[in-house]
Amino acid sequence: MSSSNSIHSSAMKFAVKAWSNGRARAGVLHLDCCPTPIDTPSLLLSTRKGLPLFISPDLLPSLPSPDSHLLHVSPLHFLEGLSMTTISKIGGLHQMLGLHEYGFAAVPRDSIQCLPEANSTNKVGASFETPCGRLLIKPAEYMEMISSLRPELWATLADEVPAWVSDKRNKTSVDRTIKWLDECIALSPTGGAVFGAIVGGSSLEERQRCAQEVARRNVSGHCSFVDMR
Amino acid sequence: MALRFEVLGRFNRARAAHLTLPHFVCETPLFMPVGTQGTIKGLTTNQLEEIGCQIILGNTYHLALRPTSELIDELGGLHKFMNWPRAMLTDSGGFQMVSLLHLADITEKGVTFQSPVDGKPMLLTPEESIQIQNRIGADIIMALDDVVRTIITGPRIEEAMYRTLRWIDRCIAAHKRPHEQNLFGIVQGGLDPVLRDICVRGLVDRNLPGYAIGGLAGGEDKDSFWRVVAQCTAALPEDKPRYVMGVGYPLDIVVCSALGADMYDCVYPTRTARFGTALVPEGLLKLKNRAMSDDTRPIDPACACMVCKNYTRAYIHSLVTKDAMGSQLLSYHNLYYMMQLSRNLHSSIVQGRFPEFVCNFLQKMVCISLSLSSCH
Repeated sequence: MSSSNSIHSSAMKFAVKAWSNGRARAGVLHLDCCPTPIDTPSLLLSTRKGLPLFISPDLLPSLPSPDSHLLHVSPLHFLEGLSMTTISKIGGLHQMLGLHEYGFAAVPRDSIQCLPEANSTNKVGASFETPCGRLLIKPAEYMEMISSLRPELWATLADEVPAWVSDKRNKTSVDRTIKWLDECIALSPTGGAVFGAIVGGSSLEERQRCAQEVARRNVSGHCSFVDMR
Repeated sequence: MALRFEVLGRFNRARAAHLTLPHFVCETPLFMPVGTQGTIKGLTTNQLEEIGCQIILGNTYHLALRPTSELIDELGGLHKFMNWPRAMLTDSGGFQMVSLLHLADITEKGVTFQSPVDGKPMLLTPEESIQIQNRIGADIIMALDDVVRTIITGPRIEEAMYRTLRWIDRCIAAHKRPHEQNLFGIVQGGLDPVLRDICVRGLVDRNLPGYAIGGLAGGEDKDSFWRVVAQCTAALPEDKPRYVMGVGYPLDIVVCSALGADMYDCVYPTRTARFGTALVPEGLLKLKNRAMSDDTRPIDPACACMVCKNYTRAYIHSLVTKDAMGSQLLSYHNLYYMMQLSRNLHSSIVQGRFPEFVCNFLQKMVCISLSLSSCH
């Protein structure tokens, strides 16, 4: 974990305000697009193709503000019916969704429909089970999506594996995730804040190894993938 | 009587009016969205107010099944139950019964059917229908009529028309809240002008607050449809609202308004939205179409609704039939379109430019010019 108290990038500023006696910390997140800063810890609203599932966009302002201003977006959702060229033409997430005062955090998977398929992931890309079938996403393709969508924050592509895989498979997932981290950073568009993905299953050493590698790169934050099953 | 109907402007047979109901003062001509089960599918009551909806329709049949009219009454009436502050109309339940239940049978007593809940034989009488509607508490309630589809011919039409007249007296007698709820009679008689005339006169004799033209919007040819509407509007009183049930398509609403009708209802705008079709001045826009996938224009560049101001056809295309939000956004646009149509009808008549509005409307839709005489 980064030891500095604050992090800056062109779209995002984060500062820690207070610590508990343990390791918990309260912070504040400033995004250029959001009128008010967002307190952390913070929950992201889940979306489907960028819009919240449960409320139409004109009614979003009726939810508590700014607590409801961070939205999770899965770029994979758009592979069904909307090309990246068209999304670029429209101008990215904010233009396409008409949500100008909301921050978007892009993470490849969602919690319900676009789930990592560890058995099909290989050295070339990460595999996901989606409503439009099984997809293999390479870092270059993923970065093309990020460049079109232009979210405020985005996680690098990870090889996510469940907790019960062999040690060998677990180690491979860390190796691949670090390799893809570098490939994603190399292709990163200007303006978005990069969150390095951290995997490693339930192995403390692998988790530490991954975290140390991520910390060495110039990232704005970390995105830990934890298997909750 | 719990309403006031004040005509503000006319063009030939068309009229624009203020219809003052217990919960709201409405401007006619107007379209009523259908809120089948105490909700308009895909929209909140806030959104309905925002788009300018004045009056919505609740289906007595569905509400009586779930959650029951007794519960609605206990909770203060449907307005309170669904948090809708403006006007409301309930139908009698008869139409759904006949169209949804294949074992429904109509006798002099009422409509007998098999309860869809437990299969028990049940009977909806004119009295029961009015009692249910009294409990629901809408501003306008509809008489139970013997409705027959216009595609049917023969003595059944005549039987239904006379029965409708006998039933209206039973409805009037059963109505316990005439000072808060307006009971409208429904003109039946199929496509037969003689029967329609008898029915109109019978209902007018009962001096009801308003009248509906029923039994249409069921697949009859358009020429027959216009003729029946024209005949009924000519014969119904000038100073009371006229409601054409189950209409419908924007073109039908414009023509019926030119013929002197004031109120309309239909599931069409919201139902077609759920199938991915948007209502636009040129007619229909099918968002499912492949051509929409890279079309970055709004659904209707001239529309001021939230959907057209924020979303491209390409984005909506990616949602329709796959994600619920697609249905919601299209329903919102389609209802906004219908509300705007109602506002345009009312204001163009009041401002003395109704023929220009109609010709403009028709030109965009059919791309040919029509002479004014066809509007009369």
